[in-house]
Formats: sequence, structure tokens, C-alpha cells
Amino acid sequence: MSGAPCGRRPTFSGLPGERVLEEAAAARQRCGNGGGSVPGTLLCTNRRLAFLPGQAPGSHGFLHSEVEVALPCIHKLVAASSFSKPKVLTATSTLKFIPEELAVFCRDFRLLHFYFPENGLAPQAFRVANAIAQAREAAAWLGDTAEGHDGWPCPGETPPEEEHEEEDKEEGLSTMLLFESLQDWEKELQRLGAVGWRVSAVNERFDMAPSLPQYLWVPSGLLDHDLKRTFAHFQERRVPRLCWHHPGGGDLLRAASFHPASEPGSEDVRCLETLLLGDRGPCVLANMAELPTLADIQLAHLRLQALCTGAVAEEKWLSALEGTRWLDHVRTCLRKAVEVVSLLAGKRCSVVLQEPLDRDLNCLLASLVQLLGDPHARSLPGFQSLVQREWVAAGHPFPRRLGLLHRDTPREEAPVFLLFLDCTWQLLWQFPGDFGFTEAFLLALHDSSFSPYFSTFRFSCQRQRGHSSMSRLPSQTYRPMGSWQDPGGHRRGSHTCTFPPVWAWGQRYSRQQREQFRNPMGPPAPAESLAPGTPGDLCLWGGARLVLTLAKGSLCPHPLPWWSHPPLRPPHRVSPSESQGTQGGLLGTCHPPPGLLLPCTAGPCIRLWHRCYLRGLPQEQQRGRLAPSLAGLAEELELLQDRLHAWNMRRPH
Amino acid sequence: EIRIKEPIEKEVNPHLLPGELLLCEASTVYKYMQEDGSNRGTYGKLVCTNFKISFLDDDSASDDNEPQFKNKIVGENDITLQCVDQIYGVYDEKKKLLTGQLRKYPEKLIIYCKDLRVFNFCLRYTKEEEVKRIVSGIVHHSQTPKLLKRLFLFSYASAAPNNTDGRNQTVMFETLEDWRDELERTKGNVKYKAVTTNEGYSVSEKLPLYFVVPLCISEESILKYEGRGIPIWCWSCHNGAALLKMSAFPKEQDDSTSQMQKAFLDGIYKTISKPPYELLKLDDLSSSLPSLQDIQTAYTRFKQLFLIDNSTDFWATDVKWFSLLESTNWLEIIRRVLKKAIEVAECLEIQHTNVLLIEESATDLCCVISSLVQVMMDSYSRTKSGFQSLIQKEWVIGGHRFLDRCNHLHKSEKEEAPVFLLLLNCVWQLVQQYPPAFEFTETYLTVLSDSLYVPIFSTFFFNSQHQRDTNKSGESLKTQSGPFRFLTVWDWAVQFDPKAQAFLNNPLYAEKPKPDKSQRKTARFKHQRQLSLPLTQAKPSTKRGFFREETDHLIKNILGKRIGKFINSSDEPPNSLREFYDSWHSKPVDYHGLLLPRIDGPEIKVWAQRYLRWIPEAQLHGGGTIATAAKILDLMEEVQSLQVKMDEEHSQAVSGDLHSVPMLRNSARLSSLFPFALLQRQSVKPALPTSTWKDLEDEDDLVKRDDEFVDLSGDML
Repeated sequence: MSGAPCGRRPTFSGLPGERVLEEAAAARQRCGNGGGSVPGTLLCTNRRLAFLPGQAPGSHGFLHSEVEVALPCIHKLVAASSFSKPKVLTATSTLKFIPEELAVFCRDFRLLHFYFPENGLAPQAFRVANAIAQAREAAAWLGDTAEGHDGWPCPGETPPEEEHEEEDKEEGLSTMLLFESLQDWEKELQRLGAVGWRVSAVNERFDMAPSLPQYLWVPSGLLDHDLKRTFAHFQERRVPRLCWHHPGGGDLLRAASFHPASEPGSEDVRCLETLLLGDRGPCVLANMAELPTLADIQLAHLRLQALCTGAVAEEKWLSALEGTRWLDHVRTCLRKAVEVVSLLAGKRCSVVLQEPLDRDLNCLLASLVQLLGDPHARSLPGFQSLVQREWVAAGHPFPRRLGLLHRDTPREEAPVFLLFLDCTWQLLWQFPGDFGFTEAFLLALHDSSFSPYFSTFRFSCQRQRGHSSMSRLPSQTYRPMGSWQDPGGHRRGSHTCTFPPVWAWGQRYSRQQREQFRNPMGPPAPAESLAPGTPGDLCLWGGARLVLTLAKGSLCPHPLPWWSHPPLRPPHRVSPSESQGTQGGLLGTCHPPPGLLLPCTAGPCIRLWHRCYLRGLPQEQQRGRLAPSLAGLAEELELLQDRLHAWNMRRPH
Repeated sequence: EIRIKEPIEKEVNPHLLPGELLLCEASTVYKYMQEDGSNRGTYGKLVCTNFKISFLDDDSASDDNEPQFKNKIVGENDITLQCVDQIYGVYDEKKKLLTGQLRKYPEKLIIYCKDLRVFNFCLRYTKEEEVKRIVSGIVHHSQTPKLLKRLFLFSYASAAPNNTDGRNQTVMFETLEDWRDELERTKGNVKYKAVTTNEGYSVSEKLPLYFVVPLCISEESILKYEGRGIPIWCWSCHNGAALLKMSAFPKEQDDSTSQMQKAFLDGIYKTISKPPYELLKLDDLSSSLPSLQDIQTAYTRFKQLFLIDNSTDFWATDVKWFSLLESTNWLEIIRRVLKKAIEVAECLEIQHTNVLLIEESATDLCCVISSLVQVMMDSYSRTKSGFQSLIQKEWVIGGHRFLDRCNHLHKSEKEEAPVFLLLLNCVWQLVQQYPPAFEFTETYLTVLSDSLYVPIFSTFFFNSQHQRDTNKSGESLKTQSGPFRFLTVWDWAVQFDPKAQAFLNNPLYAEKPKPDKSQRKTARFKHQRQLSLPLTQAKPSTKRGFFREETDHLIKNILGKRIGKFINSSDEPPNSLREFYDSWHSKPVDYHGLLLPRIDGPEIKVWAQRYLRWIPEAQLHGGGTIATAAKILDLMEEVQSLQVKMDEEHSQAVSGDLHSVPMLRNSARLSSLFPFALLQRQSVKPALPTSTWKDLEDEDDLVKRDDEFVDLSGDML
């Protein structure tokens, strides 16, 4: 993906293993509506559809990201000609006429138009259109169905590189944590100030729970030996572990549901209760009852896509939008996150997010809660670390959920991650002054989730990721995480074919574009550390083994499955010193504590993400990809300050 | 048993304006806090004067918590009599509308205001005598028909010291000069003239004293049908095409009369269609736009979405929010009006034709369309003084019947229609789509809409210039001080102190560059433009029509249906309109040139500041656009102070010590509904029912709470 040299036609440097199947020179891409078009070459490879503009203006990175579509990202391909009806192309239903125009509806809501002026190139147009239709079917990922094989044949070629970009200075990457090494987990735990917790390497060989990360945050009082007893009692062996610690004392944990067949013995119960309850006061189990199911999410997303890319002719916009239920799902997720974060901030208790398999909505909720409660998560590196920890390392099955797998595999598509991005956008929109990143950044992330060039969204868990890189690295015995960015060994030998993480933005976005990712009015300090928690304050309600469930906005006592008799009623009185604790509790305060965001989840406050979903509309395209930002003003301010400073330096005192 | 904190007997007196009289009062009234369903609230005195209904908080005297944005005339707990929309009484948990005579007195009073506030008063602890007096007083003074001269406007004007300064930049269009200046400004004076035919209102009481007609129109024709059938000039476009309006003849039974009228009209059309006049396009707004009745119905339904008794109601409507919104049809009406304005703009700008808007009285939808067209096409109308002059020209002097349309006198509900609000809603769409193009903010529009109900300004309290002039003389009142001198709403200092007025001005307004201005000015302008750059970065405009054929083709084939759905739902507009709209939107925006609103379904939004401002559930603490705006203000301030500093250093290079730049950072986190939300009252809504926690909490704490708020729940349920 190197820059286009000023030749007759820009050269096409593909990915490793990529071959051009068909190409049509002198095609044109239409820009916007009623506007002009750009001449260039339309290529179809075994990986993607790409358009190389003839006279590439300015920033090549921008064009690259704009006019190429990974084949699995193509939602629908429509060909039109003046002599026949528009036709939807698939592998089985190919073209019977010479297309004059080609519209590509993408799953990331883009809509690309190409057309072929009549200049004797008709056969090329015909061939390329059919090639795309067929390649699309053939090229869907094999994904993680085949063990140790990610579906991408990798000959010993060098990975795609951007030679001229100074990637070491990639800010996001250098300051963020990938959570692939022990140090990262240690460092983050320290930042959180979670006293009473430690990093456990019990799963270092993925033998305890294959889909969990190597390192887990568990109570200090629980030895690895005891911890091992707990795995069997949870679905997919995904035990409760810490996600986040509120400086006021509240702990956020996540876990899969209790294994239905488990019958823990007394020793196991002790370990389980140490893990779940500890001495941390009441424990609230937050289940996902009122949240949308995966099928709901998928259905809503399909409907939204249909509405926004215009496949349905809906007369009434607002009711059609409501009918998709997408915004409803966004709202439900936000509301649940507000409930959880209010509990954590107001009442010192621990909340355990419990989802049957702990790999979908738990990811979403755990990250949302942290966005609301932790200012660090709202900085750009903080957000990237968050996604890395709660989604990538935690084992969200991206390939299956984003529908990037081969057609034959059972489809378990549900864009949970995109739902999370929408929730994040709502927060960004509601609190523009509290985020270190911008809408442009979220859009880039949204689009990249369909892109095949990054490792981040191509695996279902850390183990699989490690496996795929290990299989190519027999020499390296126990450094499975060593991928593209390795703190120690920079980039390894040219035999590896690992793709960069999505966070290597410099690979696809120009410097100017990356400037747009940053919100100058966001939190001033990137890693504003939270006040350390106060130890000793932990025992709140007299150490009562109080377990409550949070469902549909209310709390009620709930026994753990192995408790034979109902739990003891909690003592009514709390000693006065505790009620005036560090965090007064939400109910009495006049203002939310600093750093806590409480979004509004009412109907009028939840909006459609225009710039993302309505991109296909011609009139939206004029608006530009990027929202206006304060960057200009901030820049001028900096300039003036510099000049003033220079003045003062020169002046004799 | 209920525990009531003994209200402290404190003498709280209402703050009365000159000419304001206290009519009745009741003490020990309990005002519920609106935000939650709980029975929290405060005790106080409810009073009714000839100007307002006012709740006097027992603690209000010691309230040193001054909000940043405060109306000097109408306080937080004041409701002007004209602002009252509906009053309900609650009898045994049943709500009943209160209108005229009352036989039974309610235990609770709910007042819905036209500015969308909702007040809940509990009268249970008030003496029966007082309840009777206050309830019937309030209902009588706010809900029953009244004489024009009984408006507070007159008492105020006769009692208030007249200290209006004439430094207002708004053109009032009360003199011939003003009209001539406007003609000159728009270069309309070549083909149009200001006439004095109506001096003394000899032609018509509906027409203004002075107005502008085409040069070729004779005085006789103006006189013939009292000004009906005469094209009246609104505005001239830079290319000479003009926007005209005309009041149509009512349907005549008599055949010969209508024949004559038809002949008269044909004559008029003929004269003004031949050179030097451009081609004439007629637009009968009564058939091409929704009727006033439709507008009133839609708005009534729409506002109901925001007049919420308590948060339970709010969450109940929440699930179906979008479909409820759509079913009101209000946004659709806004869209149709905006679309009509685009059509007119296209005729003027592209087709170079004159447009003649026709309506029965030419004072309702004509005003909306002509004002909108001017806001879109004339950047002067997007400045504060320009917009105010426009309202004067088209509405106040133009003869919009504010008294009837707002039903200020409760004469007839049939005449009521929120036409002016419709305009403000449409302008708001433009303001939020192109903020840098406007010198004023949405807050300006919101307080302007509130001013509709403040009867100390004459602006919105007459049906015509004639009505105002004849009532000005004060002959029926005993005053001997000569004619009244009414205040105008444009004198914002009456309502807001300078600090609050700052919220009406848009700090990011991209001022028109003036070449003769100093360097500073242009420098300032430059960074403002930079700020808006990403908006306009779209792409260089391409020659129109180069790829036109192909474009049309695909659009027809694949996208036609979808685009069609947004822009022309009902009738097929001429293709040129579509082309005009598309080609304008494909070019970078010139904030000083023509401005076309986006009118696709997803683009028409709810004016959140006006409609959601009193709903705490919709409030974001520390969020919303105000967060960005506040940051921008900070940055601008810093840039400016640095610039000043640079200048200083330049001029006197040998100055003394370095004084640090004062950073007037406002670190407070504002509410998204700023400047309207009542922050000091706001409390964070508990995300979870508190009951579960209650038994876990300290009992002492609960006791303390009971002291703070009187818990009435036991008795009320």
C-alpha cells in the first residue's frame, strides 16, 4: 500500500498473497451527488475491490481508505445499464448485460458508485463486475474454524509496510497497553489502585480457560491453587475476574454464568466465595436480562442498514427509524451501564457482570461502565487499551460476530462491537468535552472492523491469535503474544506474516487525518490517574454475605446456586463513620462526582449516528467524513503562545 | 401521620413592576419540585397580579444563588398571564380543566405554560377562603376573554418611566425613510416605490402606514379594493428579481363582482409582468402549504409531548418517542415550509422571476415564507439587527395578527395558530445546520419565543400598526401625559443584563470580511473561518452538466426512489428545484451567500433547547453542545487576550514586568440545557429504586432527610 508514484497509472502493491483477478481501466468513481467523478482503474483482487484514481490528489492514504472495500465487507452489488433493469449480482446470478454503472453497498454503510464511460471498454466492465460477484463469495474468511490457520495463506513475504511513516512515533501505540504481556496487566492494575487484587498467570498456557486471556486479575487472598478449583463451575471455564476498580472502592467483575452441572464441594465453595464475594461487601450480580439478544442486535442492524442504504422505500423516516429498534438497543445498553456505574460510584459494592458465555454483552457493558466512570478510558490511548482488554483479550469472537467467516459456518453474526461504538458515539455526542478522541476516530475504528489488514479483529481470543503466530514461529517457544508491536524485540524477522493491530493508524491514515482523531478539548492529561482506593474500608456491611441481583433496574436478594437456604438478612444499621465515607453515594449528592458521566437515555437524547449510517446518501457525502473540530483554534492558540514566549525570551529583562 | 415542618412566617412580598397591582394571594401553598414523582417541594405564597402569577418561595429572600442567565422581568417562579396555556385542577386524583366559573375548588393546581413549563401547586394546607380567591383569580385573569385595554401593556406604559434609549439598531419600518433605505439597500428602488397612500389609514386599517409597490401601480388601483389585489414588495434579490406578496380577494358570491375582480387582477398581472419587470410566478400559499388549522393541530399535539407532569409520564412516552414525534406532524410541516422557501429561492436566484405570494390576508404564511427566503438569501437578515428589522418589516408592521394568533385576549380559539413560532422553528433548523452563518444563537431564538408572552412590549401585542397607533393615544385612560410610549422587545436590556445578553450572540459568527477594517479584525475572522473549514472541505465544485447525463441515469435507476422519498414526498417538483438543491449542497458553504437548509427526513430536528429545557430527565450534566461552546469561548478568550498582549508588546517594547494572562476559565460543568436549566435545584436521578437501599442505610440519615423534605406520601396516596 505504498504511495502512488506519478506514473501513467498508479502501481498496485497488494497484500501478501493477493492477486489481481480483473481490472477495468478508465472507470470512473462518482463523488457525491450531482458532482463530478474521478477517473481511475477499478480492480478486483482475491481480497478486495479497489479503485486507483488516475490522478491521485494529495493524500494517498485518504483515498486508499476511501475507495477500497474488503470483499467480505460488500453487502450488495448492483449493476445498471440504460437497456435493462438494475440487477443485484451474486456468485450464482451473474451479469447478462454490459454494465454501465456499478453500485457497491458496503456493510460499513458506504455506498460506492463506479461507472464506465462508453469508450470500447465494455468487456472489461463486464468481466470486472462478474469477478467481484464471484470473488466475494469465494473470499469470505475461513477464520477460526480451522485451528492454527487463519484462512489467509501467508507466503514468506514482508508484511505490508509503510516505509516512510515514522511508526515509532505513533502516539496511540506507544502509550496504550495491548494486554499481551504480564507487565501491561500489572501496570494497569497499579493505575487502578485496586488494593486486594493481583495478576494471576494461572492461565498462561490457556489450559485453564482457552478463551480467557493469559493473565487474570483475581483477589490477592486467593492462591492460584485455590483459583484453579473455580474454573469448572463456570461456562466455558470463564471465571469471575476484575475489570475495573472505582477509586471509591467499588469493583467491577465479569464472569460467565454458573455451570449448570457443577456441584461444588465445600472447599470449592470457599474458593468460589473468596473469588466472588471476598470481603468486599455486598455483591451485585448484573445479568443481561433486559439487554437485547444477539439475534435482536443482528436484526436491528440489518434493518438499520436497509433503512440507511435505501433498500426499502419507507415513507416515514422517524417511525421507520424507530422500527429498526437499533436506537432502542443503544439506549438499553447505556441505561444498564448507568445503573452499574451508579452502584459502583455511589455504593461501595462489587458488581459482577454475568452473561452466559461472557463474550459479548459483557464486553460491551464492561467497557461502557469504564467509559462512564474512568476519565482515563476516555482518552485516546485509554480507549484503545480498553478495547484491547475488554474485547480483544477477553475473547470477543470478532470474526463470527462481524460475519466475516465463510458462508458455510453456522452464522452467528451480531455486530455487538458496532453497537458498542454507537453507544460510545452517543456519549461523545452528549459529552463532547470529556473525550480525548473524536467522531472521526470512532468512524475509522468502525470501518476498520471490516478491514482484513489488521490482526485486531481477526481472532476470537488470545489463544487463537497466539497460535497463528506461533505456528509460524517454531523457534519462539513461549512468547505467543509476540506480534507486530513487541516492546522488546521491535519487529521480528521477515518470515512472520503478522498484520499490524488496528491501532497502527499510520498504516492507513495520513498525518492530517490522524490529527483529526484527537479532540483538543478532551481531557487535558492523557493518563490522569485515579486517586488510590482506601484500604481497610472494605468491610462495609459487617462482612455480610449479601448477594443481590440487578435486573430491570431493581435489586433483590439472590442466593448463590450452591446456597441451600436463603441468605441472611443484612444488618440494618451501618456504623456512622461508614455512611460518611469518601464517596457520599449518588442519592444525596447534588452533582455527580467529578469524572463520572451520566448520559441521558431518554428518547430525545439518543440520536442516529448520521456520519456513520447515512454515509451512503449522496447529500451526506458533501458534508465530509470528518466533523468540524476545534483543532484550528487550538492550533492558533499554540502558535500565539509560542510567539509570545519567543518575544519574552528575546526581550532583555 | 404526616409531619409538616412549620413554615416560617416570613413576610415575602412580590416584586412588582410599575403599574402592576396585586390582585389576590394565598399563603402556605406547597409547590412540588417538578423533577421527580416524589412529593418534594417548597412552601410559599402564591400571588396573582394583573401581570403575572408568582410563587414566592419562603426561602427566596435569602437566595443568593443567582443564576448566570436571568430574566429581569419574568423570574423562575413567575408566569405571565399571557404565558398560561392551560390550568387543571385535581379533585380526588382526577384532573379537570379549569376554564370559567368554578363550583368546587381543587386540592391541587397544575399550570401548563406556553413556554412549556409545568407548575404543580398543592392547596391542601391553604385556608379555604384563600383557595377560592386564588383559584378563581388565576382562572379569571388568565383564561377568560379580556379587553385589549386591560392588557398589562397599558398600565405599564402609563406608569413606567420612559427611558428607552434610541440607540437600537433595529429598523422599525414606521417611517417612509426606513422603507426607502431598505429599497436602496436591496437596490429595489429602480422598479419599486414606497407609497404614502395609506397615511391616516385611509386605504385600509390592515395595511401599514407606508409600504412599497411596483412603480407602475397607480394610487387608484391601491384604493380600489382597499389594497387587496395589489402586489406588495417584500424584498429584492441581488439580480433584481423581487419577492412580492398580495392579499387575495375572498370568494365572492356575486358573479359580476368576481368578474370585475378577475379583470382587475389580470390587469395588475399584466402590468407587472412586462419589462422592466421580470416574469411573474404566482404562488397561492393557501393551497400549497398546510392550513393554519393544520399548523395549530400539529403544534398542539407536538407540545403535549413536552408538557409533562412528572418523570413517570416522561418515561412512559419514551419508548415510542420517534413515532409519537412523527404522528404530531409538526416536523413535517417545518419541512414543507422549508421546502417551499427553497422553491421560492430557486425562482428568484436561478430563474430570475419575480415571485408573488398570495394568501387571503397576506399576513400569515406569507410572512413565514418571505422571512425565511430573506434569511436564506440575505446575509444581513442573519445578523441580529437584520433579523430584528426583518421581523419588524414582515410581521410587526406587515400586519401579522399577533393578538389573535397567540390568543392573548382569549377572544376566539379558532383564530389561534402558532405561525410566528413556526418561523422561529424553521430559522432554528437553519441556525443549527449552519451556526457560523448567524450572528445570534439558538438561545436568542428561545428568549424571543418567550417574549411573545411578556406583555410589557408592544411588539407582539397588536394585530396591526393601525391598532397600535389608535390605542397609543391613551384617550380612554385618565392619563394626561399624552400618548403611551411602548417598549419594544428589541431592547434586550429590559429583560437581560449585559452578561446574560452575551448568550444571545454567537461567538463563532463568521463575520463578513470588511476590507477597510483593521488587521485585527481580519485576523480574527481568519481563525473563525479556519474553525469551520472541515465543514466546507467537501470538494471543489465541478462544472455543472459535464457528467450530468450519467449522473441522472444512475440516480433514476438505483437511487431515485430513495432520494425521492426525502425531498418530494407528495408532489413531483420541477426537476430544476432538485438540481438547484443538489448543486448548492455539492459546493462549499459560503456563510455570507445563499443558504439552503437540508430538508431530508433525518435532518429536521427537534428544537431541544426550547422544548426540552424544563425536563430534568433530558438534561446532561456537563454535556451537550454547550460543552463545546463553552470550550470555544474559553479558547477565543485566550486567543484574544494573547493577541492583545502581542499588540501591547509591539507598541511598547520597553514595558515593565510580565503580567500573567488572566485565564478566565470557567471550570464549572454546565448543564446541556444551559442557560435554562435550574442547576441549583437539579439532583441526580437515582438510577435504581432507592427502597432496597433504604434499609441498608443509616437510619439517622433517613431521619435527616425527613427534616429536609416534608414527606406527604402517606396522606396523598
